[in-house]
Amino acid sequence: MSGKSRRDFLKTSAVIGAGVAGLSSSTAKAAPKNILSEDRMGVLVDTTVCVGCRNCEWACKDAHNLPAGNLESYEDRKILETKRRPDIKALTVVNEYSPGKNSNLPLDVKVQCMHCDHPACVSACIVGAFSKEENGTVIWDTDKCIGCRYCMAACPFQVPAFEYNKAINPLIMKCDFCFNRTKEGKLPACVSICPVEALTYGTRTELVKVARERIKRNPGRYVDHILGEHEVGGTAWMYLSSKDFKELDFPKLGTNPAPGVSESIQHGIFAYFVPPVSLYALLGGIMWITKHRKELDQEEKL
Amino acid sequence: MKKIFTIFALFILMIVSLHAQQSPGKDHSKLNITCKTCHTCDVPTKSDPCLVICPREKIATVYQKPEETPDLITIDQISDRYGPVHFSHKIHAQMSIMSGGCKNCHHYNTSGPILKCNSCHEDTRKRDDISRPDLKGALHRQCMDCHREWSHETGCNTCHTLKKNVKEIQPDQVKKKLAGMAHPVLLEPTKIVFETNYEKGKMVTFFHDDHTKTFKIECTTCHKNETCLKCHDTKKVSDEKSKIVKAHKSLDEHHKQCFSCHKEDNCESCHLNKQAEQFDHGKKTGWALNKFHVNLSCVNCHGSKIPYSKLDNKCVSCHKEWNNENFKHTITGLQLNETHAQLNCEDCHAEKNFAIKPVCTNCHENYIYPKQKPGKLVRTK
Ligand code: SF4
Ligand code: SF4
Ligand code: SF4
Repeated sequence: MSGKSRRDFLKTSAVIGAGVAGLSSSTAKAAPKNILSEDRMGVLVDTTVCVGCRNCEWACKDAHNLPAGNLESYEDRKILETKRRPDIKALTVVNEYSPGKNSNLPLDVKVQCMHCDHPACVSACIVGAFSKEENGTVIWDTDKCIGCRYCMAACPFQVPAFEYNKAINPLIMKCDFCFNRTKEGKLPACVSICPVEALTYGTRTELVKVARERIKRNPGRYVDHILGEHEVGGTAWMYLSSKDFKELDFPKLGTNPAPGVSESIQHGIFAYFVPPVSLYALLGGIMWITKHRKELDQEEKL
Repeated sequence: MKKIFTIFALFILMIVSLHAQQSPGKDHSKLNITCKTCHTCDVPTKSDPCLVICPREKIATVYQKPEETPDLITIDQISDRYGPVHFSHKIHAQMSIMSGGCKNCHHYNTSGPILKCNSCHEDTRKRDDISRPDLKGALHRQCMDCHREWSHETGCNTCHTLKKNVKEIQPDQVKKKLAGMAHPVLLEPTKIVFETNYEKGKMVTFFHDDHTKTFKIECTTCHKNETCLKCHDTKKVSDEKSKIVKAHKSLDEHHKQCFSCHKEDNCESCHLNKQAEQFDHGKKTGWALNKFHVNLSCVNCHGSKIPYSKLDNKCVSCHKEWNNENFKHTITGLQLNETHAQLNCEDCHAEKNFAIKPVCTNCHENYIYPKQKPGKLVRTK
């Protein structure tokens, strides 16, 4: 069932433990796939264009076999009165804010995983379930995921959600940049449905150019800031807005990758904890074993 | 033979001019715009014009009266979930008069024929050039900004019909529904009196009439980019008809409109303690318009640039072609006698200044005009 044997896992834990004991960080890493390709793709979200129709929410659910309801029911704008966060049932949500400069129209902001260039979740994952793929996507392997929630703690955008409601084998959920669709040459579901093309899909390099050009040509419309161009070392999803991103509930972030990204995980996060990393490795190990048992139990029951 | 040649030449000319419609025209380099508005390189050639994608709005020349435009346009290039959209073009054109005009949608259209949206906006979202929105995005953006402003809705069925219900709506029916439909004509105020807080003059009288009828200033000179919201906002009322709402403007915004022309005026030019009088050329400029000039429109003398520039009061400043030979003095109401008709203008009108009294003393000691006249008074027609 699982792609990883218990022995493999213990080996990884042992290496992490050894890392703390003084080995160089590179040898200590569980070496997840973490590619930063030149032609990685991204999305430019223009919040000044977005109309808050939430078609993207519907399309995302539809593409991920989550209960989506019918599209017409998304026309009810009452839901926009409360701020929401992506969760296990909705990998992306749209929130509405008061108008930005020179506009009478509310600002609508779609939220999902940013697919960081230097993803904290990839570094934080102790079983190496997370990976940054060649096309920029940050995905995770549900078979490897042990539900330890380190990625949740590490993510600077608080994206990964956890299946708390699931007793058996609860896992992490987040936007997967429609990896299964893009692999086949299709557009991400949300990009494809957006009526106004508030979501522009392209190579990240091109998107930065497009974003700059829009700001240059329309200084009255935009604030001079492409969120995600430099934040936490750059993200694949980037935003344009007509008001300060602080007012749109984006965390204020530096341009350095989130802690624990450039170095190996134990230096970044674990250094602040008194118990040595081996304890975490142990905890992780226990969780992995429990997960495995539960899976086995379930398999037996079936 | 000659005739055949002429017809042939005309024919060629027609083809050439038809072809030329696709470009901004042969003499477009003489237009009052910099080359960099449209070209990215220094030396554009026919094979490599190096055009900027857009905006080329400075040479956009899509101006048509709403009444001359099509009633209905059916948009069906990209229908997937929904059937075609029947867009009531003419009414929208009427509505857009004060909110950017044709250019609002037909942006970046150079002179020549009106381009189809998909000549620039590709109908596939997955594409190489992502600098412009795709067709679906571009069309929706055009419609939704206004529709959202006054209806606060983004419901698809405002314009779309699901494919399964599409049989119910036929273009002919829509056409019938739209026939004769028009946006109500906007009523123009003659004058508006603003009461202000300005101590030295509480009243500002704005003669709307003067500006539009007398000075012939285009509505859009002041009413730029006005949105539907200026008059309609359905959120403000419970009944389904949208109500007229009063737009509240800041002090700055109020002044901005006037200042764009009345730059050199001081506060008291407009702020008075009584209502101002309507514009009178004589009172305002000291040059009453006589029976010839009164029939002219402002632009004939002042040029089309707003604000109008001041002129001096010398006849030849405008009547540049007038000289000794061709000027008929009778026009002034004084017919010169034979002797005086031989003279040069400046013999009586010193330095050709016709605004001041002519002098007789160059020849006749002690003669003073108009006591002594070089001819007889006549009635001019
Ligand atoms: S936003 Fe969070 S979950 Fe998404 S890639 Fe970045 S760190 Fe990982
Ligand atoms: S990219 Fe795919 S998974 Fe991510 S928000 Fe869009 S539809 Fe959902
Ligand atoms: S589909 Fe597009 S316009 Fe609609 S809410 Fe999503 S991003 Fe905004």
